[in-house]
Order: sequence, then C-alpha cells, then structure tokens
Amino acid sequence: MITFDNIRYRHLAIDTLAIAPGVTSVIGPNGSGKSTFLKLCAGIAEPDCGTVLVDGCAPRETEIGYVNEFPDRNILFSTVTDELASPLRFRHTPCRETDRSVRACMETMGITRLLDRNMQDLSGGEKILVALAAAFIGRPRVLILDECDSHLDADRCAWLNTALRASGAGYVIRCTQQMETAAEGDHLVYIEGGGVVHAGTPAAVFPLLADTPFYPFSWRWPV
Amino acid sequence: MRLVLDHLTMGHQLWSLTANGIFFPGVHLVSGDVGSGKSTLALMMAGLLAPESGTVIRDDIPQMMLSFQFPEYHVTGLSVAEECRSWDLDPDAVIRSAGIDVTGETAALSLSRGELKRLHLACVLARDYDLLLLDEPFSSLDCPGKEWVCGQLNKRAGGITVIFTHEQSIFPDIDHIWEIVGEELADCGDMPGAVVRWQHAPPLVKKLICTGRSPLALTPEGIREAACRTRG
Repeated sequence: MITFDNIRYRHLAIDTLAIAPGVTSVIGPNGSGKSTFLKLCAGIAEPDCGTVLVDGCAPRETEIGYVNEFPDRNILFSTVTDELASPLRFRHTPCRETDRSVRACMETMGITRLLDRNMQDLSGGEKILVALAAAFIGRPRVLILDECDSHLDADRCAWLNTALRASGAGYVIRCTQQMETAAEGDHLVYIEGGGVVHAGTPAAVFPLLADTPFYPFSWRWPV
Repeated sequence: MRLVLDHLTMGHQLWSLTANGIFFPGVHLVSGDVGSGKSTLALMMAGLLAPESGTVIRDDIPQMMLSFQFPEYHVTGLSVAEECRSWDLDPDAVIRSAGIDVTGETAALSLSRGELKRLHLACVLARDYDLLLLDEPFSSLDCPGKEWVCGQLNKRAGGITVIFTHEQSIFPDIDHIWEIVGEELADCGDMPGAVVRWQHAPPLVKKLICTGRSPLALTPEGIREAACRTRG
C-alpha cells in the first residue's frame, strides 16, 4: 500500500489515506493540490510533517517513474535518444544494454520516428510521449503521471490505458481531467481545497459527484 | 471576413502537411493525431511561421490572437498582477474571471498548470478578436474550467474562432469541423453533418453515431439530447 499519515505540506492536509496496488486516478478542481499530492507520492517533495510510505519505504528509496504536468519540465537532454537513455545511464547500465532498451522502448511506444529528433523540435504531445517512455524504460515500481492525457489524441489515450496495465508497475497514480479515463481506473481519489474529499473505487466515488461537472458523461447518459 | 489557406505546404524529411480551405466566421474545430501538425498550422494561420509554399490570406481581419498550447510560453510578468497588466488588464478583474484562489503578488510561474491556463485564457478572452486561434485551450483545465471556456466562446459576438484540440468530452457550440488525416487538412464540413465524417470523433460521439443517434451539436446539451433520443 501507499500510505499517507498526518501529512501537512503547503496547503495540502491529509490525515490518513491508503492507496492499494493498481491504477489510481486523482481528480479535482484546478489548484486543489493534485500535483502537490503526486509530488509527495514521488518523493519530489517531502512533507513538513507526517509520512508517505510505499510498501513501508520512503518514496525516495523506491524506483519511481514521474511525468510532470509541464511537458518542458521533463526535459533534461537535447535529443530524444539521450533523454530516453538517461534513466538507464544514471543507473550505470552497460551501453549496449541501454541502446537495446531505448530501441525496444521506442518501438513499444510507437515513437521510432522520433529517434534522431531534438527535444525542442517536438510537438507538445510528442514531448509527453518521450517523457512517458523515459518514465517507463526503467520499469519502476511506481508510475506517477500528471495529466499526460491532456496532450494526447483519443487513440494514444486508449493505448496509454492499456500500456499502463502492461507496464509492470505495481502502482500507477495519474491525475486526469478526462473523467471517462478516471472511470476506467481501479481507484479514484477526489481532492478539493487541499484535502482528500472522497477515495474509493470509481463506482463508489463518482455517484458522490453526480451533481458536479466531474461526473462522467457516459455515466450520466449511458449509450 | 475570412481566413484562406491557399495550398499551404510545410514539412521536413519525416513529416509534412498540406492545407487548403476557407475559414468563415464561426467556431471551427481542428483535430488530428499527436505530431500531425496542428500547432504548426496554427502558427502559419497566425503568420508566425511561413509556409514552404502557398499563402495564408487574412481577409478583413484587423485583430488576431494566437493562444499557445503551453500557457507558460505567454508569461512575461513575474507576478500574477504583472502578467495581467502586460495584457493591459485589471488584475483583480482577471483573477475573478479566472476563478483562481491567488493574489496579485503570487508568482505567475508558481501557479499550477491549470491555474496558469485559467489565468492566461482569462486574459485572452477579456478582449474580442476577429481571428482567435486557440491551441489546446482545454488542456490542464478542470471540468468547470472547460465549461467556463465554452461559455465564453459561445458568447463571442462574431469573428473566426479556430480551436485545435484533443479534447474528448466538453466542447463549445462548434460550427465546422476539420481534421488532419494522412498529412492533409481535411474539411469535414458544417455541423451537424460533419460529425459523421469526423474520423477523430471522441469515443462517446462515435458510439452515438453507431447507435443511430448522431448528435446535432457537440455541446454537453447536444450530447445529452442525442443520448436521450429515442431510437427510430
């Protein structure tokens, strides 16, 4: 489990929360604290008080793949190849194995055409696909994605939902503003005003949001 | 008033785009796969990027605005108030319109991306432009934010609005649909007929079409009407 206990950080306050393995969608209004929540899960931020644990370990002691909501803030290197190779190089993976993994990852992600491109020449969606690939390539235990789907077309979104399941990550935690996507997850966390207002399965949480714009269209008007 | 794309071509060794068409006043939707050239097309429409061949004619369009996909690219002020003043707008009015819980002193780049997008769009939508080009206006916005943008666009008195987007659920009242397919801008036509020719239609719209309930509009009301329509 990923556990939050007595967390206080900036305007986020979470007394207790447990996230089970699987795909967890995090939804809520702009500025409610969703990205801050993800940064605490990833160990990018540390709480002023309280603890976040991933199966009993601190996030910084766990292999985590993270994609920032600002596509440009994911970029460390100038070329797609270097960007993708970087998580493996940081681990001192042998060069030949790194090259093999980069090529295999690009094929899996359907982005082999980007191989020789510069990061700054990519479209917004392509930058996100490369950032996703860099998050996937290290086969992390936890994948944390901050609104990646807002830059992807419908086919890529559908592909991503399948790829997340096949990634081997025990936990996938993703912010999304696509409620149809959130409805497909295993768990749903609704954050508002810096606190977790609802948490549970989509079937349990969405009915509590039935009178809000966060209720999925396909649930409101089944086709 | 019209925007003419006269046999535009653009590309490099791995990618190309051709575009031909006329955009009349109304709300136009342009969709396409990741990397298909939507942002490039927006830049060419705005005159910020020259096509390799062909011309863009902005006929009777004295005022134009392009909103970039990434709101952070627009930021020129250190604080929210400075950013609003750079648009010659009153910060308090913009903050109220954006519906964000910040002060004028808040650092602009400390906002969440959704808050920054709201702030940026509130600045853009505070004025009327003859040609309004919006590159991914819905990305990072929460559902109420998307509804707010749609409401603002539906209130626009005239002019040409072109929305480049991957949005799947919440749309304003769209008049005309275009999409990039096979490296070419395809004209799907006016609504409601356009929707059946629209290859990038959202899954819910495709389901409605498959069940013989093609929506007359892409607004939430249009989707609801189609979903609730008795199948004949």
